[in-house]
Amino acid sequence: MPQYEQSLWLLILLAVPVVGAILATALPLRLVRAWAMGVSLLTLLVSIILGCELPGAAGHVLGWQGTPIAAINASFSLFVDPISIWLVLLTTFLMPLVLGFSIGSIRERQREYYAWMLTLLVFLLGVFIARDLLLFYIFFELTLVPMFFIIGIWGGPDRRYAAAKYFLFTFAGGVFTLAAVIYLGTVTGSFDIPTVIHYAQTGMGPTARMWVLLGLLVAFAVKTPIFPLHTLPPLAYTEAPSGATALLAGVVLKSGTYGLFRLALPIGLVTIDGSGPANLWVIKLVGIVCVIGVIYAALIAWVQRDIKKLVVYSSISHIAFCVLGLFALNMIGIQGGILYMINHGLSIAALFLLIGMIYDRFGTRDINQLTGLGASMPILAFFFIFFTLASIGLPGLNGFVSEFLTILGAFTSDYLGIIFGVLAALGIVLGALYMLHMAAKIIFGTPPDPHGPKNDIGPREIAILAPLAVACVILGVKPGLILDPMVEPVKAMSQPASPLAGSASDGGPTAQVNAGSRGGPPSLALPANNSASLPQLAQAKNPNPTAP
Amino acid sequence: MNTLVPVLWPELLLIAAACGLFLLGLARTAASRRLAASVALLALLAVFIQAFDMPTMTGDSFGSIFVSGLSQYITILAAGIGMLLVLLAWPSSPGAVGNSALDLGNAASEFYALLLLSIAGIIFVAGANDIILLFLGLELASIPTYIMVSISRPIPAAQEAGVKYMFLGAMAAALMLFGFSYLFGVTGQTRIDLIASALHSSGGTLSDWALLGVVILLAGLAFKIAAVPLHAYAGDVYQGAAMPVTAMIAFIPKTSGFVAILKLMYMAGGPNWHVPDSLITLLWVLAVLTMCFGNTLALLPQNIKRIFAYSSVAHSGYMLAVVTALVAARNPQTQTAALQGLLFYLTAYALMNTGALAVLMALPARIHGREPAPPGTSAETYHDIDGQGRSHIVLGLAMAVCCLSLTGIPLTIGFWGKVLLIKPIFLAAGEGGGQSRMIWLGVIMVINALVSAGYYLNIIRRMFFGDDSGAAESPAAVPHVSTSLNLAIGVCVFGVLAVGIVPAAMNLLSGHAVVEVNQTTVAATPAAPTALPAAVAANGR
Repeated sequence: MPQYEQSLWLLILLAVPVVGAILATALPLRLVRAWAMGVSLLTLLVSIILGCELPGAAGHVLGWQGTPIAAINASFSLFVDPISIWLVLLTTFLMPLVLGFSIGSIRERQREYYAWMLTLLVFLLGVFIARDLLLFYIFFELTLVPMFFIIGIWGGPDRRYAAAKYFLFTFAGGVFTLAAVIYLGTVTGSFDIPTVIHYAQTGMGPTARMWVLLGLLVAFAVKTPIFPLHTLPPLAYTEAPSGATALLAGVVLKSGTYGLFRLALPIGLVTIDGSGPANLWVIKLVGIVCVIGVIYAALIAWVQRDIKKLVVYSSISHIAFCVLGLFALNMIGIQGGILYMINHGLSIAALFLLIGMIYDRFGTRDINQLTGLGASMPILAFFFIFFTLASIGLPGLNGFVSEFLTILGAFTSDYLGIIFGVLAALGIVLGALYMLHMAAKIIFGTPPDPHGPKNDIGPREIAILAPLAVACVILGVKPGLILDPMVEPVKAMSQPASPLAGSASDGGPTAQVNAGSRGGPPSLALPANNSASLPQLAQAKNPNPTAP
Repeated sequence: MNTLVPVLWPELLLIAAACGLFLLGLARTAASRRLAASVALLALLAVFIQAFDMPTMTGDSFGSIFVSGLSQYITILAAGIGMLLVLLAWPSSPGAVGNSALDLGNAASEFYALLLLSIAGIIFVAGANDIILLFLGLELASIPTYIMVSISRPIPAAQEAGVKYMFLGAMAAALMLFGFSYLFGVTGQTRIDLIASALHSSGGTLSDWALLGVVILLAGLAFKIAAVPLHAYAGDVYQGAAMPVTAMIAFIPKTSGFVAILKLMYMAGGPNWHVPDSLITLLWVLAVLTMCFGNTLALLPQNIKRIFAYSSVAHSGYMLAVVTALVAARNPQTQTAALQGLLFYLTAYALMNTGALAVLMALPARIHGREPAPPGTSAETYHDIDGQGRSHIVLGLAMAVCCLSLTGIPLTIGFWGKVLLIKPIFLAAGEGGGQSRMIWLGVIMVINALVSAGYYLNIIRRMFFGDDSGAAESPAAVPHVSTSLNLAIGVCVFGVLAVGIVPAAMNLLSGHAVVEVNQTTVAATPAAPTALPAAVAANGR
């Protein structure tokens, strides 16, 4: 049972970019870029400190317990565990790189731009560390506002329409989730996520769980996006400035998959009496939709002429693997899905930044007009090929491990099965096809003007791409860095017992306030028996022998 | 007399100030007439400050007035928003009789006097424990608004709006009187608490005649809050009136109407709010129609005042939904939550709506064709605000905050308002019959929040991303924003954000009032005023 250790660093993690964003609006123009950069680096530092503190904490969880608000019994509570810390690190790692890229490409209204970017950073971090359901929803929904302004003001030619469409579509998903969130909080009597999950698993009927699950799925599916909702992102992603696109695909999208993992799975599907998941049909449905998404988006990507759109569709195709792994509901699949979030974030962000660098130089993203970049821009060509390979899952680079794990998860899942794995694996082949097709077209081939000026990427841009490449290699050769600490929390998904009972003894007065004001069954003690409570999770460590 | 002054002092003070202002309007020199706005502001300020200390749970010796936490809350709210409205109407220069959005001509002091009377009317409604006083309060709040719509600017549209509003308002008044006469006829009482106990003495359901009276009364009040199907006047009246008056008619009739609806439900349901099922169904249908029609209608117009008119219809629908939850709930804690949601939303809506209209007021109208803009005209159409958020970044952000709040985006007062409205609806779903009906009400409400995002977002979009290439022709490209208007916008935006970021303030705003609403009357159940946190915590099942 995880113990929640109060950690002030969680508050500092949010406070640094908040202060940064407010001051960025007031600073003189020549200072603002350095300021934004400094703030994002400081946030990175805080998140690293947080990561270093984490293994020492009891039960590998750090928390911050706020006082509940009387009228609704929600509180400003934060936590970070060995899973969310990686998403926090991904966010804080990408942000300085994106800002570093923006220095070259954002020329007008810079104060506002950096203020919005830092605001976005606050909200994204909030999503990943919220321990209160309502707080999670607040941050989740708020990421819309900075994105709306960033796309609408600094985006491409069709930005106004794209911004409004992005906002309305995502808000459309969000309102159903709001209804589900308030319903959950109302019937539970508390918005504390572990308490809500516990109540959902013990106190709610299957019909209520199904509706709540569907309500949660809508928003996460729009954000991710899962197949029938895939028409939304291409426009917003294409029109957004390249730095923002890298964040959209690298991190904002992950708030959807993180929500699936953190909320939708335990609230809607996992049962603690070992009787198999509730709402089996939802798993099947999501599985089918993911497989369709993998293949369909890959086919669309293949025929794109705009390389940014191509990468957008490749992202949709890839993220469906992640969702498939999560919904396999076994240890391998969930581990793979979470690892996929991190890896996808790294490689897709790098690709979008590369495309931004190309676009800044040539003013076009047309696959037929860009050719022979390898001759004039050898360094860029190196990175482009590198991240293309990382993205299609070359062994040794990061993408391979997570793709392998998610597909293995689908193979061995009690609820999905071989056919899902086979079809998803087809997506990898297609992925290699269209990504290599693109790389071949624009990197190789004859340059239009062999003696033209060399305008290869400079030291600043190399400094942006190199850390990403290093991270890809590290995660490719040593995925255990992320996977090993994850085992315990994923197992614990099956029994998210009331952790407050543990923290009330050492968590100080605030924890007791929450524990006292929360009514109903959550105070029930659970059997502290991890393995028996969810057999499919426990046995997944050794793959199903019947699987090929 | 001795007992009346301590109970009625806010109303007496405001009416005395209003009488003084009527006399001031006859003053010989223009200089003394110009004091009108200051006098009105001071009177409201005095009421506002003193209301925090006003004794509650008292009444007069006849039992026709009862000052509870509810009346204290409404007094503070009405005086506070009243001050904002005076600031909106504040003369732009020492010699002016109005400002860029308001042209009062010679009637400046009368305008402020009428505003004070209207506010006194709301406070009367909140304190009334007698159907005759309740009716008088409602009319005192409404009749001045008819005149203010017409005198707010010298254009035919304003006259037409005023006349239309008055005739329909008179019809609503007649309906209400008719309904009151039924209640009096059935019970033989005029005191609200006695009517409530008389209607429930048998312990059973309402008689048909009483139910008829309640429904007719509800129709009259539906007009006040602009609920569908009695919403049709809203578009013309909001658009015809000058902007400060538009802000006023979005606040005064709605607030007095909802307080009166609470009293009506108290009469129909008694201290336990147990009304007949048919009435719950009626409220449910009314709420759903009002939400859906209001939001759909608001998607269409190009004129932003008209959009705000229909959106105010939609917001009435949200509040009607929580009234439905109040009477459908069987658990006192749920009823407490519903009351708190309603009272909180009244404040939230008043702040964010006044803020948005104040920003519109600060922006100049653009000239359409060769016609010079008529006096008392500020930005009204999408064309007027295109790109204004880029050139006036602070006004643009203020508008964005208010519109996001009206949509219900987190970190604003509107989000917490929506949460507090939806929560009792879901709580009520778990109690009594018609469970899925209440769940659907909550779901329909969030879908409506989505529809409303369509037009609120459009306003932000046009302000920030709109094409302002045509703006160069406009002579008044740079708005002159007076200090008073800045102050009003600042207060609204601060309120919207402060409560949004520190939601603990919600309890300060409405917690105390709610505790005493259940004891609106002396005869009510002696339920101990439980502290709200404990009440909410006990809701968990």
